[in-house]
Amino acid sequence: MRLSTQAYYSNSIAAMLDQQAALSKIQNQVASGKRVNTPADDPIAAVHILELERSKVESEQYDKNSALARSRLSLEEQSLADAGTLLTRVRELVLQASNIGTLTDNDRESIATELASRLEQMQDIANRKDGGGEYLFAGFSTLTQPFAGAASGNVTYSGDQGARQLQVGATQRVADSHSGFDVFMDIPSGNGTFDTSAGAANIGSGSIDVGSVVNSSAWLPDDYTLTFTSTSDWEITDTATPTPNVVASGTYTAGAPIAFRGVQVVVSGEPAAGDTFSVNRSRGEDIFTSINDIVTALRQPANTPDANAKLATALNGSLQQIDQASDHLLGIRGQVGARLSSLDTADAVREDLQLDLASSLSDLRDLDYAEALARMNQQLVGLQAAQMSYSKISQLSLFNYLR
Amino acid sequence: MADFLSTSISGLMAFQRALDTTSHNIANANTVGYSRQLTEFMTRNPQQAGNGWVGNGVDVSTIKRAYDDFLAGQSRTASSSYEQFNAFATQAGRLNNLFGNSTTGLTPSLQNFINAFQAVADSPTSMPARQTLLSQAQTLMDRLQSYDSSLRSFDAQVNSQLKSEADSISSLARSIAKLNQEISGGYGRTGQPPNDLMDQRDRLIDELATHINVNVVAQDDHSLNVFVGNGQPLVVGQTFGQIVATQDSFDPARTVLSFQTASSTVEITNSLSGGSLGGMLDFRTQMLDPARNALGRLSAGLAEVVNEQHNAGVDLNGQLGKDLFATGPVRVMSNTGNNGSGSLTVQRIDGAAGSLTLSDYVMTNNAGTWQLRRADTGAVVPMTGSGSAADPFIADGLSIVVNPGADPGDRFLIKPTADAVSGMQLLISNPSEIAAAAAIVTGAASGNLGSGSVDVGSAFDPSVWVPDNYKLTFTSANAWQITDSASPTPNVVASGAYTPGAPITFRGAQVVVSGTPAAGDSFTVSANVSGRGDNRNALKLADVLNQPVLNGGTSSLTAAIGEFVGDIGVKTNQAQVSRDAQKVVFDESAGALQSVSGVNLDEEAANLVRYQQAYMAAAQMIRVADTVFQSVLEATRG
Repeated sequence: MRLSTQAYYSNSIAAMLDQQAALSKIQNQVASGKRVNTPADDPIAAVHILELERSKVESEQYDKNSALARSRLSLEEQSLADAGTLLTRVRELVLQASNIGTLTDNDRESIATELASRLEQMQDIANRKDGGGEYLFAGFSTLTQPFAGAASGNVTYSGDQGARQLQVGATQRVADSHSGFDVFMDIPSGNGTFDTSAGAANIGSGSIDVGSVVNSSAWLPDDYTLTFTSTSDWEITDTATPTPNVVASGTYTAGAPIAFRGVQVVVSGEPAAGDTFSVNRSRGEDIFTSINDIVTALRQPANTPDANAKLATALNGSLQQIDQASDHLLGIRGQVGARLSSLDTADAVREDLQLDLASSLSDLRDLDYAEALARMNQQLVGLQAAQMSYSKISQLSLFNYLR
Repeated sequence: MADFLSTSISGLMAFQRALDTTSHNIANANTVGYSRQLTEFMTRNPQQAGNGWVGNGVDVSTIKRAYDDFLAGQSRTASSSYEQFNAFATQAGRLNNLFGNSTTGLTPSLQNFINAFQAVADSPTSMPARQTLLSQAQTLMDRLQSYDSSLRSFDAQVNSQLKSEADSISSLARSIAKLNQEISGGYGRTGQPPNDLMDQRDRLIDELATHINVNVVAQDDHSLNVFVGNGQPLVVGQTFGQIVATQDSFDPARTVLSFQTASSTVEITNSLSGGSLGGMLDFRTQMLDPARNALGRLSAGLAEVVNEQHNAGVDLNGQLGKDLFATGPVRVMSNTGNNGSGSLTVQRIDGAAGSLTLSDYVMTNNAGTWQLRRADTGAVVPMTGSGSAADPFIADGLSIVVNPGADPGDRFLIKPTADAVSGMQLLISNPSEIAAAAAIVTGAASGNLGSGSVDVGSAFDPSVWVPDNYKLTFTSANAWQITDSASPTPNVVASGAYTPGAPITFRGAQVVVSGTPAAGDSFTVSANVSGRGDNRNALKLADVLNQPVLNGGTSSLTAAIGEFVGDIGVKTNQAQVSRDAQKVVFDESAGALQSVSGVNLDEEAANLVRYQQAYMAAAQMIRVADTVFQSVLEATRG
């Protein structure tokens, strides 16, 4: 083919420019360490990279969320442990007060005084704040002091029943707290099925134990009244109106179990005719009331058999209530532990994910230096050869020989 | 009588002409568009002598240029395509660089915004976290707006580029027409081709082809007619038309191209293709317009999703959340040819961001019935409704109200999202107004006897919500009623039969009770006035930004950004690949033409030697003639 001189020069120069452009691109990649510098370099990889980087940033936020949840849960755990210790002391005091015969009213008053101060201490625990100044046990109302009134013995809850959840994974949320309602306010009373108490107007020395469930399927939740129709006969009525039904009746033997509808209670001592005992289905009771009930009971003079019997019944019930509260707190602590452990799992999963993200990102975006340098050398050799051959060939001209 | 003196002189003259041509070739070895010229020799008519025909020497028949119309046409087509792809790829590359940066791009800004919601969810009472959220919202909005203004400046550049392209084309057309005149005149006077003028004209047409696709038709008088677009006669003989930049009939800020003759001006934008002009037009319709609409749709979707969820929460002051973002309205433009006084009121429908497309629309009044078409494809878009204010037309996430007065044939252009970004505003500046908390808070009354429990509430509709402390009471084990807090006698707001797990809805709030509540059990459903530590709405806000809300509910906002950036990357990559491929085709065809018409200096050197020797030989012949003549003289001198 005929080649024009101009075409020869422009072709040679174009070839060299192309080589230089390729070289500059490799140089750019080597300098930045990235294979994909703009979406056009590899559109599919570029979109992938965007998504991976987004996931990375997202995952880092979950790290922060998780750390925060962990710190709040640890604080809660500490508070619950303190509350548990306090309840143990309360239990000791109740046991101490249960020696009714050997204690004087003054002894009981000193126990009551300590219990009253324990009550305030419990309220302090329940009003604890986290590092950010938010109440731990206020539900969502974290800026409202949740508990007040311990001084008067009547503690009220002004928080709500919410529990804040934090996002610790793309699909996983963990609650960072329990509401004060769940922890302190809503503890099942009695043995969880029913609770027992002595009528306030009782004049006999009969006292009732906390009772037990014999056959839970036969239990019909209702508030029952055990009435002594005489010193030797009892009957149990339900709450039907206007005329309560008699559910069961029998002859009284001190210390013998009275069974009805799948449960049984034991009355001991000598109840008088007309004395009543309640067997109420279990309700939610707050921990402060439970403690305050003991204080109130201990401050009643207890010099007569009927007063002793009432105190015994009350202390029996309270002991059970304190145990119930301890169990309840332990249950909540168990939940906190489970949440901490699910944070651990989530952290581990996220760590794996981040590792995976980093390696995928690197695969997609980062340059293979060995390969790039090899390409660069190849390109360099090509450019050098082009330059050298150009300088040689361009010297050739027929005019050189026309002299 | 044959006369070898005059024969020799004819050779001398011819070779001198050939040497002239060779030196002209050498002189123009580097002239762009120059075609090498060849001297063509022809024997003179022989003279009859009794013993045969005696030759009379040589004449130069013509000086012609080495040129191939077919190769030239191919080369022009190739260069038109190459320039088109080149212009497109160059502009696309700039757009690509603008959006490609993965550290300063949109995705990180959006993710930081989502993370800021997470941080508020972590500590809803923390002012710094709320302040950070507001700054991230501002940053995201700034990013969107800076991209939008970049796209607008791209648009302005395209407009001015189109204008200068049009000017170049018109001035080239004028020059070509003028050369046509000179060339046909030159031919007419001498019957010989004015090679250098023809080279000039071809070079101008080549240059024209780099601006726009041309169709060249040769005429008998050696002038060339040049047609563009759908056969618009840009140059016919010595007359020429003009391509001028004019305003779009809908949008005065958009430059379109029209063909102007002495008598008329016709818009021909859509029929123009090829060359750098075609590349710019393609870039505008294929990349710039979609990119602006995509960005607008993204912003509209973002604002809608965030606002809707934000409205469902309450802020630190216990007030329902306000809108966080405002966006620019739908842009409606009437055609300059409209005769009526009618107008359209078009709005994006709340909650229908998923139906928005990336297209613009043209609404036409067809003698009383209105028809909506997509501006890009022309496809008819079905509408429901009647167009009145009470019952607007609904189509593709838009509500269209027709204000009376339009004449039949009147048309309107609707740009649903083009202005969304530029009109974007952050409506909240006080961090306490961020609605991180849910609007309602529920709880069980203490002392409930049954096992019923209430969830935290969901599906909140702020428009019908009346804040109050409501009480959900079970009047029996299987019937409930809701009362407000009026005293002394609360009003019953709602009541119904109890199905465990079924939602109970009243006044925009929805709660679910499950388990077995006992008669007399009650639950509270209250306005969340003190729940400043509540993060439920912040969590939902972070969550909803990851939900698929765009594109008919198939793309999340982050995915939409990915698609948007990916689309730009793919188109840029495609354009670059096409440009490189077309470059090869162009080089090939230009090389083929060059191999016919380009000057090779070695060849000219050889010609130089050849003609020089022939010239010297002819000169020698004159000397011989002289000698012969002298010998005749001497013989007769006696």
